[in-house]
Amino acid sequence: MIRFENVSKTYKNGTSALKDISLDIEKGEFVFLVGASGSGKTTFLRLLLREEHPDQGRILEAGRDIGELPKWRVPYLRRNIGCVFQDFRLLPNKSVFENVAFALEVIGRPRSTVESQVPQILELVGLSDKSKNLPHELSGGEQQRVAVARAFVNRPLILLADEPTGNLDPANSESIMALLERINRTGTTVVMATHDKALVDRMRRRVIELDKGEMIRDQVRGVYGIDEGVTL
Amino acid sequence: MRVYFRYAFKETFSNLWRNRLMTIAAVLTVAVSLSLVGSALLLKQSAAQASAQWQQGTRVTVWMQPTASSSEINGVRSQLANLPIVKSCVYYTQAQDYKEALQLLPPSESSVLTVKDMPSSFRCIPTVPSNAFVVESTFATQPGVYKVTAPEQQIREMNRAIRILQIVFLALAAVLLLSATVLILNTIRMAIFARRREVSVMKLVGATNWFIRIPYITEGFIQGLLGSAVAIGAVTALHTWYPLHNEFQLDTSALVGTNAVVLIVGVLIGSVGSAIAIRRFLDV
Repeated sequence: MIRFENVSKTYKNGTSALKDISLDIEKGEFVFLVGASGSGKTTFLRLLLREEHPDQGRILEAGRDIGELPKWRVPYLRRNIGCVFQDFRLLPNKSVFENVAFALEVIGRPRSTVESQVPQILELVGLSDKSKNLPHELSGGEQQRVAVARAFVNRPLILLADEPTGNLDPANSESIMALLERINRTGTTVVMATHDKALVDRMRRRVIELDKGEMIRDQVRGVYGIDEGVTL
Repeated sequence: MRVYFRYAFKETFSNLWRNRLMTIAAVLTVAVSLSLVGSALLLKQSAAQASAQWQQGTRVTVWMQPTASSSEINGVRSQLANLPIVKSCVYYTQAQDYKEALQLLPPSESSVLTVKDMPSSFRCIPTVPSNAFVVESTFATQPGVYKVTAPEQQIREMNRAIRILQIVFLALAAVLLLSATVLILNTIRMAIFARRREVSVMKLVGATNWFIRIPYITEGFIQGLLGSAVAIGAVTALHTWYPLHNEFQLDTSALVGTNAVVLIVGVLIGSVGSAIAIRRFLDV
């Protein structure tokens, strides 16, 4: 589903964000991306969205080199990638329903699709009864669930999550993780960047660790710390 | 497609309403500048029309001294008749000129005139308008001749005045059109800024670039359109009520042409303003 071939990225100010990364992520995998701040996790996700271009190497998604996509095709690439962020990024003046519906409307889905898909996805994230509320009337965990619903309503092949539990308490983090797992079980590839040690340790999923732009670990059923688990 | 039109329509009008003060400022600036452009164009057409008309009947008038003797008058008459560049001449007696003066001059001035003060005159039509000058130079110094006048010169002077007026109008219009473009650019920039969250979400979920851009382009387009609509109203009013219309006998096709130019320029300004704003501030 995702393949990095010797990908390097250096920013203009000289910061080396990623160094010679090669990896494969299969369809339906759940991958944690761990590492200290500035280790290149966010760059990794931005490259997948083609918000950045690698300086070297190439990135394939669903078998296609995304670096070769013409600019006008990039939006269509992004329709296959859902995104969730630490700060939710909901539209404050739109209700829960409208926030999720917006994601479908702006890619030109007809009203009938919107009206059938949005309640379904709100049911999935357990917010059917709050569909008319505004984001500020919800708790942080609920807001993040709206964000997940928005990211998933178009049934993308890949879901990227950049520290989705970073602003949440443990109980809410749990519910978001449960949700991401559920989405993963539908066959969606999930890549999640996180600092949350306890979470990673408990989930026992594939862990990719970055340190100053270098991949220092790629471990199936990994944990957050480096000295535990089985190294490939 | 229908979804899209509904969306673009909704977005465009909510943007216009949200920034209504700026929108009004932009529309009015477009309107004022385009009114100037339209007036300048009408003026130019009037001037062209007028000089064409006057030149057709260009006459050169040889005014005799009121005291000129009949031999002097007859001398001028036979010279004029023999001049090949003069097509025809009509002699106006002092009484005839007096009658004409009574019609042309306001009563306060004509009341002091008497028939004896009036010069008699030869009204001549030259074969081509520019020959009026030859007649002028030939007869100005003849005995008994008071003055030779040709309207050619007045036409030239009027044309020059109109040209200067036109340049002033167009220069003003150019400055105003520039500021109208900047104002439209700024309203669009504000609209984009107000919607930056929406725009970032749209990019994230894969809305196409044109989907994101079009509401802003239509916004600028509509501002230009409204501005030129107001300007068309002003130009039409000028054409209808200002006597230029009757005096110069401009027909409605001139008005229609002018209004078409006004419309096109207005729409162009709106589109250019929003296109620049989008290129600079909407990073898609």
